[in-house]
Amino acid sequence: METMTECAQPIGFHFLFLRLSIKVNVELCTETRPSVTTANRNAVLAFQSSKKSRHFTYFADFSENVSLFSRRCGYVGKSARRTLQLWQGTMKEIGGKFGSSVLTYFLFLKWLLIFNIFSFLVNFGFITIPQLVYEPSPNIPLNVHFRGLEIITGAGYFNNTVMYYGGYSNETLVGLVDYNMQLAYFFTITVYMVLCGIALIFSMAKSFKKNYVLADSATSSAWQLLCSWDFSVTNERAVRKRKSNLRIQLKESLSEKAQQELLTLPEQLKHFGVHVGSWLLSTSLAVGCGASIYFLCEYEQKHTADTGSWSLLQEAETLLVPFVVSLINLVVPFFYSFFNEFEHYTNQRNQIYALVIRNVFLKMVILGVLCYYWMNVVAEVFSCWESMVGQALYRLVIVDFLFLMLGCFFGEFLRSVIGTRLISRLGVPEFDVGRNVLEIIYAQTLGWIGIYFSPLLPAIQILKFFILFYLKKVSLIQNCQPPRRSGRAAQMKTIFIFLLWFPFFVGALSMVAYTAWRLPPSEQCGPFRGLNTTFGVIEVWMDDLVDIPGSHWVIWIYQKVIRSEVFYFLITMIILVVIYIFWQVTQGRKRLIGLLRQQIVNEGKDKSFLLEKLQNLQKSRKPTSKPNKQKGHSKERPGEPPTGSHSNAMVQALLARQQLQDEMDQSVPSDTSNSGALMQAMLARQRALSQNGDVYHRPEERVSSFQTAQTTRNQENQESDGHYRMVSPTNAVTLAMQARQRAEGTREDDTDYLPSSVSSVMRQVMQARQRAEEELNSPSQNTAPSGSSALIQAMWARQQAQNEYDDGY
Amino acid sequence: MGNKQTTFTDEQLEAFQDCTFFTRKEILRLHARFRELAPHLVPLDFTNNPDVRVPPTLVVTMPELKENPFRDRIVATFSEDGLGNLSFNDFVDMFSALCELSPRELKTIYAFKIYDFNRDDFICEDDLQQTLNKLTKGELTAEEVTLVCQKVIEEADLDGDRKLSFSDFQNMISKAPDFLSNFHIRI
Repeated sequence: METMTECAQPIGFHFLFLRLSIKVNVELCTETRPSVTTANRNAVLAFQSSKKSRHFTYFADFSENVSLFSRRCGYVGKSARRTLQLWQGTMKEIGGKFGSSVLTYFLFLKWLLIFNIFSFLVNFGFITIPQLVYEPSPNIPLNVHFRGLEIITGAGYFNNTVMYYGGYSNETLVGLVDYNMQLAYFFTITVYMVLCGIALIFSMAKSFKKNYVLADSATSSAWQLLCSWDFSVTNERAVRKRKSNLRIQLKESLSEKAQQELLTLPEQLKHFGVHVGSWLLSTSLAVGCGASIYFLCEYEQKHTADTGSWSLLQEAETLLVPFVVSLINLVVPFFYSFFNEFEHYTNQRNQIYALVIRNVFLKMVILGVLCYYWMNVVAEVFSCWESMVGQALYRLVIVDFLFLMLGCFFGEFLRSVIGTRLISRLGVPEFDVGRNVLEIIYAQTLGWIGIYFSPLLPAIQILKFFILFYLKKVSLIQNCQPPRRSGRAAQMKTIFIFLLWFPFFVGALSMVAYTAWRLPPSEQCGPFRGLNTTFGVIEVWMDDLVDIPGSHWVIWIYQKVIRSEVFYFLITMIILVVIYIFWQVTQGRKRLIGLLRQQIVNEGKDKSFLLEKLQNLQKSRKPTSKPNKQKGHSKERPGEPPTGSHSNAMVQALLARQQLQDEMDQSVPSDTSNSGALMQAMLARQRALSQNGDVYHRPEERVSSFQTAQTTRNQENQESDGHYRMVSPTNAVTLAMQARQRAEGTREDDTDYLPSSVSSVMRQVMQARQRAEEELNSPSQNTAPSGSSALIQAMWARQQAQNEYDDGY
Repeated sequence: MGNKQTTFTDEQLEAFQDCTFFTRKEILRLHARFRELAPHLVPLDFTNNPDVRVPPTLVVTMPELKENPFRDRIVATFSEDGLGNLSFNDFVDMFSALCELSPRELKTIYAFKIYDFNRDDFICEDDLQQTLNKLTKGELTAEEVTLVCQKVIEEADLDGDRKLSFSDFQNMISKAPDFLSNFHIRI
């Protein structure tokens, strides 16, 4: 606890450095002696003593207090946000029993729910409330009464309420302020869609950044063994299941290696033929479903009248199309997963991707057909067509919800009953994350399309997702088992967000945009009646603005920027150029990574080669001296270096280097000793660590602050800005080591960081090694004389490096 | 809500908030959980920094750790003496390093330490075998175990010394984006 109180004593901006340095110290400490807290304490004391010498000016005091205050506010904000988080306990329970991949579904559902809550608040606040205030009772024709069927069909009584587009007026509401309903409607919808798009793009970018390796060879056992264990699973049965799954997967991967055979040509052709066939089949199935829905819509439209009142039968008939759509969405994916039986993919992941792509295509075809029908047929035929479209969407949402519940019941509950009681061979069903996520993405797309036509649809969505969450949770816990394949939760999340954005959000946005741009609004109802297109409301507004003084800049922006083509052309060109530049930079860095990796491998080989030679040399020179441990990373110091001859001096140098190397490697990440050399090495490593995480940004604050702390401590090293320079001659050789570390860690294009002399040294050592390998040409490398020439050359090369660095400083 | 508690001084809570990824409320909750482990040992009042350590046998009874195959290693890694006796500092450190907000670098370092059974700063084949045994509960044959460990070293070892150094481990983790979400204990 002493650490904590010492932590509390310095105040202000030093606090920030302290916290960061303590966190960094936590990171750098590997040994338990000295322990983490002792290390912290040392760092804190050192920092305090270094800072005491400074004077506190009044300005410094003030800035300290300001930053302290802002940080405290930040903490309050953070804890307030944490209390508002929904369903924390449930998430923990689900994660504990089923693991992270199932949890992604529920997190995704929660995220979409937040979208809908936001949209509902915005719409209700800006559009519905003014309308309700202005006209509290909707003008419903006299012969329409509330029948219970409206809840499902959305037609009838709801038709003229604020539920749909048609219930809104197009006037400027006069009240406390003049509220222009047209502009309000237009801008609310536009701003909401734009904000949605931005939020999606940002979360997609963040997800890509964190999980940037999308296609990797991570079915390897290294990954499985070390990274795939889910630490958050706390349920005993789940843990046992996971262990057995891991065992099975490891066995599979072992046996895969054993049986990797190349397929013969006829077999390859056969597989290819099967692939093509199944893709054709699935595509034609999707297209067929789309066509049938189109014809069904037309058939239904012939039977409906354009009057305001429908009979009960007519209303019930409107449910036919949503029913068929949801049925298709439920049944056809099962066909697709049936294809897996006879279609063999080389990779499990390709199979999953193929399934996802087929399902997405099916849903897009259905949505596309429906949108086409609405925009081309409904818009022509009906008088208040936006409300009709809104009703259709309402019906789709409700029926989709009913089918989700049914699917849950049949797919999971009955299946588990069958699996446990009747055919116990089948077992309990797995929770299919992919299918469920696609279902909620589809549901959300319906909501996004519907937001223009039915502003209060998000309220229905909120209810739907809320109930769905609890339903799925109960079903999951009662009926399902965790997925057998240890799912790649992070990658799946990235893919889901990407799917949500494209094609679903983009499709919804383009449909709404097309409606606003091209289609004439209906003449009798809605806020845009009387205009040619919805977008015309902006023109009207611009005309109005001409009269208001002081708003000419808005008109200027509208005419010169938004309506001019040159502006968009320029922006597109600039963006394309920037993309091209970034792409080239990425290519360059990929190549650099490959080169550096090769360099690491070579360094390892050099090291082992040199040390083998050293051992042989020692054995041949002094048989009584203590032998080194093999491969260099020994803990014991080597014995007294032999004295005397010229080559022994080099042996001495090499031994000293080896000593230092042992120290360096032991303390990487090092413990907090007081030597400047180690600190610099730590700096280098820390910088490498931070640069690994953040390639495109400047090194994080904590690194620079830690460096600042360290450099103020090591006054005797006369460092000014150089982070990689050593002064003492013994550390000159560690510079070579550092260069290697830098080579490992640095992924920037600044290859001038690697001094040319060091790389030439490496080259010389490599050449010496290669020459030696050529010369010896035998497994036993005990010939000291011929080998020693290469060794001596290598030693000279290193000595040269030492001299150069000594000369340089 | 926080002003009425007497477990910690305000300064202590500030210090905790600065040094870990938790908020005030979570720190108080953690203290309650810590106390639950050994009510006779852990005092209610921490304002005068009592030096109390809970032995590992009690810590691993926590529901979050009970079923984890690496619970002993986790507790030992975060303890000061290396044997698993956790003070409250260590306890909070442990859950802070393993929480959702903890950055990848921190988690990588601690994962490396946890998997390094013999604490020589390298994950050698022996460490890997022990890891594998803990994960599969000894149901693979000895031959398979050796095979898997050799494969792992082949795949992950970059500098050819037949052991995984920290940089090898880090390199492998960077190719596994799930690591962040997997190496995570909710409290």
